[in-house]
Amino acid sequence: MSSTKRYWKDLGELHQQPAVIKGRENEFPQDLAIDQVLGDASFNGASTGRRDFLKFLGFGLGAATLAACETPVIKSIPYVNKPEDITPGVANWYASTFYDGEDLASILVKTREGRPIHIKGNPRFGLNRNPALPKGSINARINSSVLSLYDNERLKEPMMKGTEGMAAAKWSDADIAIGKGLAAAAGKRIVILTNTLASSSSVAAIEQLRTKHPTVEHVQMDTISYNGVTNANLKSFGKRVFPSYDLTKADVVVSVDADFLSNWGNTTESTWQYASRRQPGKGMNRHFQFEARMSLSGANADVRVPMKVSELPQVILALHAHISGSDSGADAAVMKATEHAAKALMAAKGRSVVLAGSNNEGVQVLVNSINSMLGNYGSTIDLEGHSYLRQGDDAAIAQLVKEMDAGTVGALLIAGVNPAYSLPNAEQFKAGLAKVPLTVSFSGYADETASLCNWICPDHHYLESWNDFMPKAGHYTLAQPVISPLFSTRQWQESLLRWSGSYTAYYSFIRENWQRNMAAHGGLTEMFADTWNQAVHDGVYEPAGMSFPASGVTFAGDVNAAMGMAKAAKAGEGEFELALYTTEAIGSGQHANNPWLQEMPDPLTKITWDNYVCMAPADIERMGLNMYLGEQAPASVVTVKAGDREITLPVVPTPGQRVGTIAIALGYGRGANGEKVGKAACVTDHNGVFNPVGQNAYPLTGTADGAVNYDVLNVSVTATGETYPVAITQTHLTDMDRHSVVKETNLATFLGGDKRAYNHPHELAVHEDVNGDGVINALDKKPVAEFDLWEEHPVEGVGHRWGLSIDLNGCIGCGACITACNSENNISVVGKDEVRRSREMHWLRLDRYYSSATTKESAKQDGLGKIDMYLKMEVPEESPTVVFMPVMCQHCNHAPCETVCPVAATTHSNEGLNQMAYNRCIGTRYCANNCPYKVRRFNWFNYVSEQFSEVNPAWDDLGRMVLNPDVTVRARGVIEKCSMCVQQIQAGKLEAKQAGTPVQDGAIETACSAACGTGAIVFGDLNDKKSKVLGLATSDRSYHMLEEIGVKPNVNYLVKVRNTEEAAAHHA
Amino acid sequence: MNGRLFPPKMLGMPLVARISERSTGLLYATLAAVLFLFSGIAHAQPEDADLYATGEKLFKGNCGACHKPDKDLTGPAMKGARERWDGKGDIYAWVKNSSAYLKTGNPYANEVFAKWNKSLMTAQALSNEEIDAILYYADNYAPKTPAPSPGGETAATPGAGDSDMGSNWPWLAVIALLLLVVGISLSGVRSSMDNAVREAEGKGPLPDRTTGQKIREWAWENKTFVSIIGLFFTVFITVKLWDAAWVIGVYGGDEVAHYKPEQPILFNHTLHAGKVEAGNLAINCQYCHSGAEKSRHAGIPSSNVCMNCHQAVSEGRTSAGTVEIAKIYAAVGWDAENFKYTGKTEPVKWVKVHNLPDHAYFNHAQHVAVGKLECQECHGPIDQQMDVAEQWAPLTMGWCIDCHNTKDVKMAGNGYYDEVMARLEETDLGHAELKKYLEDEKISVKELGGWECAKCHY
Repeated sequence: MSSTKRYWKDLGELHQQPAVIKGRENEFPQDLAIDQVLGDASFNGASTGRRDFLKFLGFGLGAATLAACETPVIKSIPYVNKPEDITPGVANWYASTFYDGEDLASILVKTREGRPIHIKGNPRFGLNRNPALPKGSINARINSSVLSLYDNERLKEPMMKGTEGMAAAKWSDADIAIGKGLAAAAGKRIVILTNTLASSSSVAAIEQLRTKHPTVEHVQMDTISYNGVTNANLKSFGKRVFPSYDLTKADVVVSVDADFLSNWGNTTESTWQYASRRQPGKGMNRHFQFEARMSLSGANADVRVPMKVSELPQVILALHAHISGSDSGADAAVMKATEHAAKALMAAKGRSVVLAGSNNEGVQVLVNSINSMLGNYGSTIDLEGHSYLRQGDDAAIAQLVKEMDAGTVGALLIAGVNPAYSLPNAEQFKAGLAKVPLTVSFSGYADETASLCNWICPDHHYLESWNDFMPKAGHYTLAQPVISPLFSTRQWQESLLRWSGSYTAYYSFIRENWQRNMAAHGGLTEMFADTWNQAVHDGVYEPAGMSFPASGVTFAGDVNAAMGMAKAAKAGEGEFELALYTTEAIGSGQHANNPWLQEMPDPLTKITWDNYVCMAPADIERMGLNMYLGEQAPASVVTVKAGDREITLPVVPTPGQRVGTIAIALGYGRGANGEKVGKAACVTDHNGVFNPVGQNAYPLTGTADGAVNYDVLNVSVTATGETYPVAITQTHLTDMDRHSVVKETNLATFLGGDKRAYNHPHELAVHEDVNGDGVINALDKKPVAEFDLWEEHPVEGVGHRWGLSIDLNGCIGCGACITACNSENNISVVGKDEVRRSREMHWLRLDRYYSSATTKESAKQDGLGKIDMYLKMEVPEESPTVVFMPVMCQHCNHAPCETVCPVAATTHSNEGLNQMAYNRCIGTRYCANNCPYKVRRFNWFNYVSEQFSEVNPAWDDLGRMVLNPDVTVRARGVIEKCSMCVQQIQAGKLEAKQAGTPVQDGAIETACSAACGTGAIVFGDLNDKKSKVLGLATSDRSYHMLEEIGVKPNVNYLVKVRNTEEAAAHHA
Repeated sequence: MNGRLFPPKMLGMPLVARISERSTGLLYATLAAVLFLFSGIAHAQPEDADLYATGEKLFKGNCGACHKPDKDLTGPAMKGARERWDGKGDIYAWVKNSSAYLKTGNPYANEVFAKWNKSLMTAQALSNEEIDAILYYADNYAPKTPAPSPGGETAATPGAGDSDMGSNWPWLAVIALLLLVVGISLSGVRSSMDNAVREAEGKGPLPDRTTGQKIREWAWENKTFVSIIGLFFTVFITVKLWDAAWVIGVYGGDEVAHYKPEQPILFNHTLHAGKVEAGNLAINCQYCHSGAEKSRHAGIPSSNVCMNCHQAVSEGRTSAGTVEIAKIYAAVGWDAENFKYTGKTEPVKWVKVHNLPDHAYFNHAQHVAVGKLECQECHGPIDQQMDVAEQWAPLTMGWCIDCHNTKDVKMAGNGYYDEVMARLEETDLGHAELKKYLEDEKISVKELGGWECAKCHY
């Protein structure tokens, strides 16, 4: 069952396009980078003769030798007064909270010698904590945020708009001028425009300003609007809130275009909750996804139904009809397509949830009605302990823009949002902004909005700030600074306090606010200091007696009106329907300046450093655009027109995209007017032009029913005839097309209990009577594990044997492991051009395989002939199934790389690690050529050099502070690869030795395993009989990638199990 | 070889500069010696030298932390204390138990108490005779004359010059080469001048036979001799270059002069960490280098650690020492006169002595806390013969793994290693391995993986 599918990585491979797959069999598709070196313009016109060259050579050699003789004087400067809790060389971890207006997560920040260098989820406290592991669930944007602290383009002091643009100013001048400005605005509206704050102290700071300026108003804005949901809840239940979801209780999840694993709602919670129900067994949930674009959630779904964007409201209507039993006027075809999902929902009343990504109020009222009919309120959906995030109000913002234009706004203070970039009516906003007498931005960058304001009073980076949040009723989190402010910045709330005439530091303000609130709630005020200190230490405070037991609520919405709104979405006249979405790496765009995120391949398309038009392969073929992309095969460029707005982007074939629909990512194209929004947001492109990365798609959004609308139902696409190179990783980081790379099965087969049915070991025929039938023939086989070419390494049972177990069911493909690995192991960012030349340095990659749902078995069931069967297995791109597979060095006990290294730079340790000594490597790259997993990366250049200064943060003195001092920064000409975080292993062993105890299971974590909130990656000692990793490695689902080649890896994978209906019925 | 008499920084200097610096050293040494000779005359000895010595010993043991004989410190200067108390109260009772004496209501005692911040002196278990001795010492206190600095003495050690030849040979070679070049060019100049003279005198030039030609002719005639000599020189130079290449970038060990950079404060390790018997203070290394047990870095102590002692000890044993102590005060911003911090700090910029390349990871805690090595095993007799710290061991990889090969792992009583042993004894493979390990009756660091690349390189 497991191995009869056909897997492929991209269409070029599926259709065996010679032009595209040419060179893929080579580890290094290009020859040496001599052309790039000699292509340097400074070499032109140089006339160095042979004799001069030899002279230089001789002189250079001599000079180098002499230089080596001189001892460099290295200064070492200790503290004058050493803080008691800092020991140089020992990391300190501090609990804090990440919140950027979108994701909120309790985190631990690792600091070394006072510098924050790494972020992981808080394993002890917080809503994002997966208690079963325990680990804090975070995404790539959160653990990459440590890098943005060291961005040299952050504002270093306040800025004032002068006659020649923005100029540096003094805080004292700013305070005086803004104080006067606010006084002058008396009588007019003074608006403080922020992201959703969910912070009682921030609100109190605004209140304090209001005591001095009574016309102060607070307007909240979410960059990605959830007004459809919150307004629907107001209509249905009388509460304008975003609910809390508890997916751990959901047996059936039906999502209609809600990418709840990547960007919809509170993903730091929903990811671990979802994954905890993906363990194969009786409790495994079933997940249906209806969507136009293949999203991360869709890729994980058991049943994914591609739908046109205009059909998605119909899906909700149809589900409503199925469940209520009354006709809703939904399309007959959609009624049929939703039948199975509705049946599953009905069978799991109170144990299911329906989610919809639509920002249409009518659709969301219907969803509320469905969930109410299913009895999901009080179990999987909680309105009492609802989320306090996503309170943004689109109507209030529309009103604000109108009044700014009318001149009734006296002052506008903007914190945490970038409306000039992200509003659908950004141009109107900008025009209005110019009419406001006093405009102040608290942005840390002179970004699209800030650069238009009179003043920029830069806020601290969040790692320099104090903050408090209340993401849910009764759940408080604290953010504490882990480094002194690097620049002359000031926390925006403190600026408000200053302008209200108070000189209180914001820290004291929060503390007093907490003390006051706790006294008001009858808290123990005399114990406050202890409570406060504990809360700062934990980063989280959950007072007893403040839980809100979820209860059923009564749905009071108007279903008929909602149906009318939902039906308003009609397929447009244009040939395409456009869905705007946010990517896993960049999100809404505020992290577009983070090079780690820009270089993180998109989980599905594997494209870095760009946004693009996602289009179904069938449409690409129809339009005659470039289908097969690769290093030498650029993408076609198209212009997408929606009404009077247009955008020109490369087009990428994305299997799974519904025919007739396209999708474009938001969050790109930052700094398009030359604003300095951060280091990696703009880079020099292939034509040598300094340009923003990607294009801004926010202008394509619109407004419907009082909320921002991300579905554009009427667009046209025309090819410009030009091409554009895109940097895709998975066309070159390949694996042999063998069935033992990915193994999957369905739940029924797994529950059948016969391991050979879904995880058949590889066997070789031998010349002895194994089965005892008296005849030696092809039936006499032995498992491949019993054959050996090499002498055994003495690692079995001796000392430690470190290993990783990776559960393909737990992996949702989020990519947080990749950025965690970047941060822990000082991995160079190389930029788009190098990625395109297959030279990215990531030690860990996330392979994504597509396959058809058709298998030999299902074909037999359907009565297909052999030829039809194979054809059907190859035409699946309309809705392929997807497998995500994290691949790092497999640390083979019989490593092919070790035997070919001519200088013994890569050797095996007696703890099972495949070691790499950089200073020994001479760069032959034999090892990489001999690696069956293609995990070895070669330093083609000195990536920490001026040539890569645009993208590599390690180049400048500030960016360098993020480097992990325990890991060498590699130089040009050496191979590097996953070390299984050997620095953590060594540190963990030392800790155990100092304590005089054996290494406790779970005490040592690799960066990837610590970052994996779903628990898919488990690290441990395979020689420890009680270890979790050994249990997994010896479980029935465990297999080794490419087991048949007999390299005996220390990394094992667990077979993916899908909860698919058809096969379950077949086996039942 | 005594090459290390030159501080290594001098090796890179031009020859002339080196000679002059050395002569300055000699000059200082001479001056110091003269001073020393005259110092005996400068101060008279107290009448009762024995009592003075007893008093000094008792003073240092019991009083020195808070009192000075001639200056106010935490407590008042002790010189003249007997006079001050004369007729006003019982100084012996006051010293023995000041709090009890205070309760008697003696007015002078209360006055002193009030004057000194109302802090009481610890009760002292001293006899009246001992108190007498201390007061005698205080009354007759005369500061000791500064002794010549140890640096000066070392520089003055005779005979340094002639044992220097070994490390000087490259310079001699350079000089020889220079002389040769000068000689050859001079001879060229001479012959052309001769020719010019002859031309002026109307004579024809000398037959055109240059020195080179002469040498070549001579070499041709003595082929065997020249070949042997040539071969010898080639081999000699190659061997010398090869040897020299091995110690490029090595600043410790037996082969080369030890790296001993000039430090901003001439901290004397021997004085602080040396044995009490030798008149030193025997402070535990980790009192200052507190990171050694818990971190990869032993750490240079922060200046506030110095102040734990030097708040009271403001004078060195020599005036040079007092100058160095004053540098600590400047760093932490300590006003020694008024006994308070000024708040102005200036970190001390030490020069790092032990430098490992970036690609080598070394962890002090592993070696000190787990491996239970003495500091001296790598840092040399730092407590015996090192005033300013120098790099003792070569810190080469060969030196590291040599030790890893021979040293046994300190397994006893450590649960971590109990588990390692238990696993070895559990399986057949483990048993075989253990047997191999124990062939030399110990388990060396190497046998548990101490020679593996990723133990130090990652």
